[in-house]
Amino acid sequence: MFLTQSKSSHLAYITRGSAVLFLQRCIMGAVVTHAVCFRHLLELLRRTAVHGESNSVLIVGPRGAGKTTLLNCALRELLEEKEVKRNLLQVYLNGLLQTDDKIALKEITRQLSLENVVGDKVFGSFAENLAFLLEALKKGDRSSSRPVLFVLDEFDLFAHHRNQTLLYNLLDVSQSAQTPVAVVGLTCRLDVLELLEKRVKSRFSHRQIHLLSGMTFPQYLQRVQTQLRLPDGFPDARFSHEWNGSVQTLCEDKSVEEVLQRHFNSSKDFRSLHMLLMLSVSRVSTANPAIRPADLLEASRMCSADPKANILHGLSILELCLIIAMKHLNDIYDGEPFNLQMVHNEFKKFLQRKSHSIYNFEQPVIMKAFEHLQQLELIRPVDASAAKTQREYQLMRLMLDQSQIMEALQKYPQCPTDVKQWAMSAFG
Amino acid sequence: MSCLKSHQISLSFSVSRATTPSRRKDLKAIKEPSLGVLPEVDNENSPMLPTAMTPRSSKRKSAQLVSSRIRRQLGTQLDFNSDGEDDEEFLPSKKELQSSSEDEEEEEKVDSDEEVAVKKSKRGASGSRTPRSTQKTRSSTRTPRKTPSKKTTPNTPRTPRHITPSIPSRSLPARQPANVLEEASTRLHVSAVPDSLPCREQEFQDVYSFVESKIMDGTGGCMYISGVPGTGKTATVHEVMRCLQHASDMDEIPPFHFIEINGMKMTDPHQAYVQILQKMTGQKATADHAAALLEKRFSSPAPRKETTVLLVDELDLLWTRKQNVMYNLFDWPTRRHARLVVLTIANTMDLPERIMINRVASRLGLTRMSFQPYSFKQLQQIIMSRLNKVKAFEEDALQLVSRKVAALSGDARRCLDICRRATEICEHSAPNPSSTGLVGMTHVMEALNEMFSSAYVTAIKCASVQEQLFLRAVIAEFRRLGLEESTFQQVFVQHQALCRVEGLQPITVLEGLAVCQRLGACRLLLLEPSRLGVQQRVRLNVSQDDILYALKAD
Repeated sequence: MFLTQSKSSHLAYITRGSAVLFLQRCIMGAVVTHAVCFRHLLELLRRTAVHGESNSVLIVGPRGAGKTTLLNCALRELLEEKEVKRNLLQVYLNGLLQTDDKIALKEITRQLSLENVVGDKVFGSFAENLAFLLEALKKGDRSSSRPVLFVLDEFDLFAHHRNQTLLYNLLDVSQSAQTPVAVVGLTCRLDVLELLEKRVKSRFSHRQIHLLSGMTFPQYLQRVQTQLRLPDGFPDARFSHEWNGSVQTLCEDKSVEEVLQRHFNSSKDFRSLHMLLMLSVSRVSTANPAIRPADLLEASRMCSADPKANILHGLSILELCLIIAMKHLNDIYDGEPFNLQMVHNEFKKFLQRKSHSIYNFEQPVIMKAFEHLQQLELIRPVDASAAKTQREYQLMRLMLDQSQIMEALQKYPQCPTDVKQWAMSAFG
Repeated sequence: MSCLKSHQISLSFSVSRATTPSRRKDLKAIKEPSLGVLPEVDNENSPMLPTAMTPRSSKRKSAQLVSSRIRRQLGTQLDFNSDGEDDEEFLPSKKELQSSSEDEEEEEKVDSDEEVAVKKSKRGASGSRTPRSTQKTRSSTRTPRKTPSKKTTPNTPRTPRHITPSIPSRSLPARQPANVLEEASTRLHVSAVPDSLPCREQEFQDVYSFVESKIMDGTGGCMYISGVPGTGKTATVHEVMRCLQHASDMDEIPPFHFIEINGMKMTDPHQAYVQILQKMTGQKATADHAAALLEKRFSSPAPRKETTVLLVDELDLLWTRKQNVMYNLFDWPTRRHARLVVLTIANTMDLPERIMINRVASRLGLTRMSFQPYSFKQLQQIIMSRLNKVKAFEEDALQLVSRKVAALSGDARRCLDICRRATEICEHSAPNPSSTGLVGMTHVMEALNEMFSSAYVTAIKCASVQEQLFLRAVIAEFRRLGLEESTFQQVFVQHQALCRVEGLQPITVLEGLAVCQRLGACRLLLLEPSRLGVQQRVRLNVSQDDILYALKAD
């Protein structure tokens, strides 16, 4: 039918375009929540791009708070001016990609298309590249050179380079009468200034923009609503009205509010909210054209699923029994490390007293089970010096928590009852 | 015909300066794709071009063949219609360069294309007496080429070996400051160093008299200048050199040559030799070769040699285990014929005693000067002199900033940055742009809060509920154990108990680990690597009082 066709295409737009939708909303959300910071950053970038005034600033905020989004937003608004778009040179560096000053320098030279670059290859040694870049920047001046914007993502990683050469030189250019540069660093560490050397710290202008949002739960709910609604400019007005209505009823549902409250209590950042909403929106189809509370609950369950539980479900009965034996040892000895012989003894106690379905296994079989557990990193040796003692007598620790084991046990397929009961009893 | 021309060129080479073949070889810079200039040059001419174009005059047939092959290979990849542009480009440059360097007269004799190569190679060869003036004009000829799209950048091989670096120039000049506050802001920028630094007159005098005496006597010497960052050491030395240069232009003192190197701007301490050699003679060489050449230069007598003043910034980065770089730097001035004056700058007063071995420290000598951090009166004076007649600050505001910064570090850069930020705040908080008023106490206080604040307390206040609970659980566990460290598992037990007390739903281990990771990323907590899972140890990076204060206030 014509109607269902258009509806399905709209739904396809929602599910497939949800990533884009969210990105746009995310940007608007970041700007709205951090309006003051946005203004500050925009003003600073404009001063460099238009007036030729060098500056340096650090944007500090927890992970997923919207630092990169804020910067991109500010840049986008700034680049709308023709003069800026034609003049501003941009260099993007990331501390995780450019792990060394040498690599970073090559990247800067390549992005600025300096004269010693041909195609994509940068000629010259590290020393030559540095000298070349510094000379290029030195020759410029405030009124006649194109301003350069340096964006350093994961700024704290640059502070771990040798001598902090790159940081010193960039900040030195920003404090000298040379080419106007804006050095923008993004980091999530609050103590980033302590990482800088005193000379570098003196050259940094100590401007910090903190993205700390004191968002309350009602504001959080409001954000969920704005994220999920279709924009006003959507072509099919009737469909968008229907969709927005369903979003409204969804957000008023009690169970949904509980789920969102749980997420809000855990973390306020945009990225995890994004993930949750994406998972719930991806369950929309022609059969169920609106987001139901069950979708959101399912998405929440998916987000918080424990991968260790899945690993435990894949273990054999023997390995599971060994894990339960370790759990009992932890209870008895209050978290002290154990060795494999102790676990074996505990298991043998269970076999003697309570077990009906499980029989004793040979020593090599049990050792193989232990090895498997170690490979899965469910147990871990206390110290790494593995050569000294025999394998059965090496001290190990269990990397699982009690609650994880019990939870996995509940869902273990075809678990023998005596094993379950052994796990739940307080006495070995 | 080209044979004749090459003769002319080699003649002019020998006329202008005594170049030895070895030096010409050294002039060959980084290997970049050479000559797209004359791509249609055919084979029989090419053997001549290497001698004309490359200072490395290799007369070996095999080398010439190879280089002609390379050139042809690269010539096919380059734009062929670049030639027309070439001629237009070089006409204005010819005019401009006529006034600058004295080598121009010889260049006019030769063809325009070869003039390019000769001019460039000469520029490389010219001992950088006035490096800035020649290179500036080079950049101004080159910059128009940079603004077009990236596609045309492969044209750059037109300027091969001695490619000069530059940042392209903007299409419209930058806006000038419009009102009082913007003018003040421009003047308060750290880069707007005044010609004469206030509050450093005594230091200026001392350094000036030291260097002047060495120049006049024609001897060498070392001086060590120390002081915390931001006290005006480099600026003072530059001022001294400017005045001496002026005096030398007035023929009051014999001419000298000023070189500057910076330990932080080098990738390796041995690059110091390379940079010194390049700035003194324009030669490029490897570190060892440069060291040998400099050693020869400073040991051998030369009758008309002029004094070289060498400024070494950030001296502590030139430290190597055997300390040869520093040893050489301080040993060369002691040679009779060296005429080298070395001024070194570092941050710590006792650097020679701490990191230098005896013979190096003794060669450094006892001519030392220490720059004290600025007092609040001096900082006030600095700002007033920067602002000059521009009336933008209230008296109290200025005093507050100076006192605050002087109490903390005495760093002039910090002071100027705070004042500049205060003017920006004042500008933005004004209701309309025309009537902004003076920068007052409120603006200055806001700027100080911004730049001096530590965001830990705010971060804790803005953290989510579970994160705050986790911090409380960490404190509770530390109190229980009596230690400053515990594992995640133990803290998690406390966390679950606190959840029950608060009436919240208890969280899973995975969620707890995520909360812990987020706090660790912000460095509110210090964590071990997360692959240790529930066994990772947790420590606090903030004091317990701060956490309790932050959690109590809401």
